[in-house]
Amino acid sequence: MSGPPSGPVLEITGLHTEIRRNGAAVRAVDGVSLTVAAGECLGLVGESGCGKTMTARSVMRLLPAGGVITAGSVVLAGTELTALSERNMQTIRGNDVGMVFQDPSSSLDPTMQVGRQIAESVVVHRGASRAVATARAIEMLSLVKIADPERVARGYPHQLSGGMRQRAMIAAALACEPRLLIADEPTTALDVTTQRDILDLIGDLRAALGMAVILVTHDLGVIAGRTERVAVMYGGRIVEQAATSAVFARPRHPYTEALFEALPEMASSRLASRGLYSIPGRPPDLVTRSPGCSFAQRCRYVRDWCATHEPALDGDHPGHSYACFFPVGVMGQGGADGQGGADGQGGAGGRNTLISAWVSGRGRQAAGREATAVPADPAAEPLLRVSGLVKDYPVAGGVLGRRSGAVSAVADVSFELLAGQTFGLVGESGSGKTTLARLLVGLERPDAGAIVFDGADLAAMSARQRRQRRSGIQLMFQDSFASLDPRMRVRSILSEPLAIHKTVRRRGYRRQVLRILDEVGLPADAENQYARAFSGGQRQRLALARALIQRPALIVADEPVSALDVSVQAQILNLMRKLQRQYELSYLFISHDLSVIRYMADTIGVMYLGKLVETGPAQEICTAPGHPYTASLIAAVPAVVTGPEVTQPRPAGTLLAGTLLAGTGQPGMTALPGASGPPVAGPDPAHPPSGCRFRVRCAFARDVCAEQEPALRPHAVPGQLVACHFPLGPAAAGQVAGRTAPSIA
Amino acid sequence: MTVYLARRALQAVAVVLLVTLIVFGLVRLAPGGVTTAVLGSGSAHQQFLAQYLTWLGRVLSGNLGRSARLNESVGALLAASLPRTLVLTGVSTLIALLVAVPVGLLQAVRRSSTVDHVLRGLTYLCYGMPPFVLGSVLILYFAVDWHFFGAEGPQAAGIGGVLADPRDLTLPVLTLALVTIAIFARYMRSSALDSLDQEYVQAARARGGGERRVIVSHVLRNSLVPVVTLIGLSLPQIVGGALVVEILFNFQGMGWQIWQAAVNHDVPVTLGFTLVIGVAAAVGSLLADIGYAILDPRVRISRP
Ligand code: SF4
Ligand code: SF4
Repeated sequence: MSGPPSGPVLEITGLHTEIRRNGAAVRAVDGVSLTVAAGECLGLVGESGCGKTMTARSVMRLLPAGGVITAGSVVLAGTELTALSERNMQTIRGNDVGMVFQDPSSSLDPTMQVGRQIAESVVVHRGASRAVATARAIEMLSLVKIADPERVARGYPHQLSGGMRQRAMIAAALACEPRLLIADEPTTALDVTTQRDILDLIGDLRAALGMAVILVTHDLGVIAGRTERVAVMYGGRIVEQAATSAVFARPRHPYTEALFEALPEMASSRLASRGLYSIPGRPPDLVTRSPGCSFAQRCRYVRDWCATHEPALDGDHPGHSYACFFPVGVMGQGGADGQGGADGQGGAGGRNTLISAWVSGRGRQAAGREATAVPADPAAEPLLRVSGLVKDYPVAGGVLGRRSGAVSAVADVSFELLAGQTFGLVGESGSGKTTLARLLVGLERPDAGAIVFDGADLAAMSARQRRQRRSGIQLMFQDSFASLDPRMRVRSILSEPLAIHKTVRRRGYRRQVLRILDEVGLPADAENQYARAFSGGQRQRLALARALIQRPALIVADEPVSALDVSVQAQILNLMRKLQRQYELSYLFISHDLSVIRYMADTIGVMYLGKLVETGPAQEICTAPGHPYTASLIAAVPAVVTGPEVTQPRPAGTLLAGTLLAGTGQPGMTALPGASGPPVAGPDPAHPPSGCRFRVRCAFARDVCAEQEPALRPHAVPGQLVACHFPLGPAAAGQVAGRTAPSIA
Repeated sequence: MTVYLARRALQAVAVVLLVTLIVFGLVRLAPGGVTTAVLGSGSAHQQFLAQYLTWLGRVLSGNLGRSARLNESVGALLAASLPRTLVLTGVSTLIALLVAVPVGLLQAVRRSSTVDHVLRGLTYLCYGMPPFVLGSVLILYFAVDWHFFGAEGPQAAGIGGVLADPRDLTLPVLTLALVTIAIFARYMRSSALDSLDQEYVQAARARGGGERRVIVSHVLRNSLVPVVTLIGLSLPQIVGGALVVEILFNFQGMGWQIWQAAVNHDVPVTLGFTLVIGVAAAVGSLLADIGYAILDPRVRISRP
């Protein structure tokens, strides 16, 4: 559903924005030009620090301290925004342009009623009375498909789940029906299934309200099928711009190509010897302007010419422009002439096979099957055997704070992990996967069950005995910034565990530290630096080094890459796999991102509300899931797979019933088409449903599901266990997406 | 909300009981004559618990013992001095809030400007100067040199009497208020800086709210939440300041009385007043908790 063919709503020409701080000027936006037509959705992609958020904020003229627009123009429906006074600019914000922010837990004011925040723009711009504002807030809440809008409007943000908060945020941004919605990473902080719902919602509302949308994201999967055009940003500039289908079918700029290849979805199989392509180096600092192409330091097709000449944004094809002298895929140039692959990872030849595997969509599954023919000896004693693990958290209530109930965080979970292998644990937030990690490393004590590691039951040990054995299992956190003391030097961070466990004599510390730094790819002089001086990827390397220095047999990695950009993510994943081969390490890899899990894991476990609902070999589970929940997780993963049918914009409006809500009768506000989706309710671990815990969100639920709890039973492939009364047959695998997608609320 | 407040109130009661127990323990430790003076004759033979309960019953009915030195009941001394202290601390805390909240907010909004630097210098000065130095300086200029205000606190009795003598009341209140403003304004500044950095402030701007609207309806309330708690926590500091101010200005409130009693080894008065101050502190922090709950819905309303 492409937008009506009218003039552009937004036209940015030659925009330059600088952030001036401490005497230095960061050229955050360095000559960006783009247009968005009415009803069109433009994807703005790039890694962090590439200027995409600053471009969006320049449109709103909401720049951080020291931010100035130094040149260029931003025209919104005929009005030049850069020339407006601040007072006039205020009449644009929230009225003509709405904005949705990344983190719904911090973008709503915790002390103000949700309804008042939603109606704030209506009060500001239309002078709406209290009653009208309340009515509008309730109308907007039902438009974004929140059940019981009257009650939610009166409530406060902390009473809502993350997904509902983001819906409320969208409602607030759209209350005045702006011509343009800027969504800045709207789903980055959300679960996959919630992410899909929010993106669907934005798509539906775009169609219903005929507004233009700019979707700012680092995630190519979010762009696919939801945007008409894409602009890829690098170093404050647009380096490639074209129709989404064109970019996906044939990326021309080496940076775009690299972004694609860094996606874990792109790996043909877990056991492929080649790692993910990772872009070497870091984005330019944007303070000093160097001549030539800004991507030159990281480009695998770079030539001498690139260092001295600056490529302009143009193209050989109308509508497809890119800023590169030697675009990808031109014979005798770029990728095809064998110049690529300087770092030995994923050369040009690799790319073509990848693309073909990826276009067919089936190829990688076939490749995966062959590759998994190397399972470990089933008779081998597992390194880790978890059986019947249970953990409840008491809920305090009443005046005296007495225990009034329990949250069942981990309920009867069992699995095994062989030495040198990776167990990937997937699930949404609240599924208990982090609690499971904490139980394994001994940060929590289980209420029941056994954790047999290396022949000894850790669950039966006292805290002291565990501490002595602890070095066998190490934890690697998601947020290494919080877990690494910023006031400690790297040397102390790394030698601290050695001192505690006295595994090495003091004189040997330094040598150990240097060796481990080298292994995780950090420079030796890093030992004298503080952790806070490190970038996200470097901190994750440091976290890995800290876990590794005690020579563990098992590393429990809790969302180790979810805060990283794709290219950095690829570096860390590759590093983890390299170290795994080198040291026969085992990983328990926890993530909400199925494609990351699939890339890393030999065996997958899917958790839902504290239960392991499905487990088995990674490839098989991803291609032929047996549990409806697994299937819906797979269906919710944004597809990066190209092909004519996928890149077509999704049919919008399927969830919009088209019923009209009564207008509020306020001039200037039209009635909005209503929406009648399923009521939004997240799972509540304090009151899990009877029988199958998934049944309230399951499309296949029948009476027996409420009465009897399904046990884990063997399914189609050897090693695959599914806890469902009506598991999906292998035949269903082919139509998984179509059959089970709508079942998640 | 009710559950939260009931829990806090229970805690406050527990704290008060603990205070009485400690005070009672101190009474028992004091030399024999004092024990008899406070607890009455014939008490020496009773068990600890029985003694405590009898004493507690008496305290609850308002009988805090007698001062042999002044030949007056502790209750009567309290009745004379409590209103004075209430006026001093109450008025100066009120003034401090009314001044410090806008000052801190202004500093945060105009961060690193000249206004911010000047105000920061002033608050540091007031914060760093001991109250008796600050008070002495004020006396020197405003009372001795210029004769604007009296150098001694009001000597009249009762709340009305004290308030009716603004000339003498001004300097003690001003001294205590300046110290308190310095504490509160610094809290408020850093708390408002925190709030200004939050994404919801950006979001409110993105909805088209003017700067004044954004600050009044989003920044102010969120900044007050931690400040209220900090105010509850700084009560002892304020009470300590009041003690010094009362002595300096010969203002015969509770602080002055305690000081007199301590200097003259008047144990019943010291203990009785300590007890009352302990209860007052517990009530004060309960009030701060209530304010906290009113400002922050996350405390008031639990998740569904
Ligand atoms: S211009 Fe040169 S350095 Fe820049 S992207 Fe193209 S090939 Fe790479
Ligand atoms: S047991 Fe029933 S409710 Fe649970 S997943 Fe299977 S079909 Fe759905």
